Amino acid sequence: MSGISRSKRRKGLTLAFVAAISSAGALTILGTFGAHGAVPRTGPLSVHAGLQKSPGTFVRGDGLFTGSGARSQLGASVSGAMIGPLSPVAVRSSDGKLVAYNTWQELRAVDADQSFSGQGIADGDALGIPSLRVHDDAGKDLLLARGAYSAAWRHDGAIAFVEGVDPSFRADRTYTGQVVVRRGIHGPDIAWTTEPAHYVVYSWAGDRLIFYRIGLAEKAELLVADGPGRIRRLADGSAIALSPDATRIAVLSQHATNVRVLDVATGSEQSWLDVTTATPPLAWLAYSGSWVGDHVVAPASAGLAVLHVGSRSLELEQVLSLDHADFPVGVQEPRFVDADGNEITATADIPPAKSTAGVSFFLQCHRIARTCERGEPAPAKDWLRLVDGTAAAKEGGH
Amino acid sequence: MKVRAAIAAAVLAVTLMIPANAFAYLTWFEFTRQSNISSTLTMAWQYGPGYYGTQSWRAGSGVSTDACWIGHGWLPTGYYDLKGHWDNYNGAIAGRVFYLQNKPCWNGTWRTELFVHSEETAGQGQYCPTAGDDPYCWEGDYDYYSNGCIKVSRAAYPSDLRLVHDGWHGKSGDYRHGYFTINNWLYVRG
Repeated sequence: MSGISRSKRRKGLTLAFVAAISSAGALTILGTFGAHGAVPRTGPLSVHAGLQKSPGTFVRGDGLFTGSGARSQLGASVSGAMIGPLSPVAVRSSDGKLVAYNTWQELRAVDADQSFSGQGIADGDALGIPSLRVHDDAGKDLLLARGAYSAAWRHDGAIAFVEGVDPSFRADRTYTGQVVVRRGIHGPDIAWTTEPAHYVVYSWAGDRLIFYRIGLAEKAELLVADGPGRIRRLADGSAIALSPDATRIAVLSQHATNVRVLDVATGSEQSWLDVTTATPPLAWLAYSGSWVGDHVVAPASAGLAVLHVGSRSLELEQVLSLDHADFPVGVQEPRFVDADGNEITATADIPPAKSTAGVSFFLQCHRIARTCERGEPAPAKDWLRLVDGTAAAKEGGH
Repeated sequence: MKVRAAIAAAVLAVTLMIPANAFAYLTWFEFTRQSNISSTLTMAWQYGPGYYGTQSWRAGSGVSTDACWIGHGWLPTGYYDLKGHWDNYNGAIAGRVFYLQNKPCWNGTWRTELFVHSEETAGQGQYCPTAGDDPYCWEGDYDYYSNGCIKVSRAAYPSDLRLVHDGWHGKSGDYRHGYFTINNWLYVRG
């Protein structure tokens, strides 16, 4: 082989190498900064203090706060005593003018460490009354319904909620009620359920109402009402999120390991995922997440899970893990707060320890950068929560 | 004849010496939360002043360790009254079940409809029609997960459920079924 040909060959190899590197680089760059600018990767979240501003309106105690911190006095303290994270504690109407929120009037103090008998509480004693109140943007606050909880606004201003058969929550009695729909805050109530049971309203999906029936051993059944008395069973389990167009819902199995995307109108399954066999595998997911575009975020055993929803597919796209020492019980009610589905806000709870009471704080995370800022802690009994329907993203039902 | 009388008298004396509550000890349960699928349920009984017996089993509760998560987190800590006991309960849970009082968790959320149970049919049998997870069939460790209730194994013979159930009746001498209240029947810690 001559020197010239050797040189040409070397030059050719060099060009090929450069081309290959360039192609690989281009692919990497394309992959990394494609569609939405970067590729989300599974990994730990880096959490720092310093969240200065909430991404939306939130409630805490008897205050309603704008993202910039302006406070409006509520007529009573917010409380999710009857719903936990099954349904939002506070939810804004479609026109943005009203906020419905859950409250709890304590009729007698209950020491959670003691049994009922140990503190003289007899079977059937009234312990509290849940109520729904409505707060408008002029600061007016009124009682929507006494003996009621879990509200969802329809696009036309109608509001659905559970109205108790007996307003009082009583020791060792199941709190039964009917799901009712009121046309506007002063209209008459129309029962949509036919049998009293332990219900929790979840969300409207267009003109359909999605709600839970809670049974023995806290087993949740997800139901959909197409109208008064027209009730169908959607799934055993809980709801992670509704699609932005409200036609599909991501539901979670009783043991919190299988996710299915169902067509709300027909109940037919479009896709499913077993998170225990996904990559990386997860022990569980939890209900009450959020859906923007083709992404769903849900609480997960590791911290947060982001799913990618195709027309007939469902994949675990990203797992964002939280340090168990700092977040022993993870986070609840994560919400996408930007239109691209990259920013997530959630509430983190820290259970009480021997010398400290339980606290809650907001966590705002960027899932591409895998960083979070944490807000100031508030007592857990203040129910620090975002008002549902105020996030910036074009989001489906919670 | 005298010998027989003496033996009869001795037997009677011994019988009378046995405390009236020898087979009806003060009996209660303790649940120590360690993990969702591997915690410890202990039955304790007092068989004399300062004398206690215990028997423990593996048990599970919840899917997560957040006691404020309805249908998902484990039981809140504290004392619980028993509100009823059934041998052939027939519902979403079935068979031998112990019904607990409602309990608020640390942020005030009420946990309700809580039981100590396993996975068996109302007739205390096993119904395992599919290769997957059947609600009235104890398939394995995965079944320790619950929506919040305490679950013990229904596997092997005698099963832990049977030992809990029979142990309760045998030690407490309480054979009631249906709705009734026993104060401070369970203590949850951890």
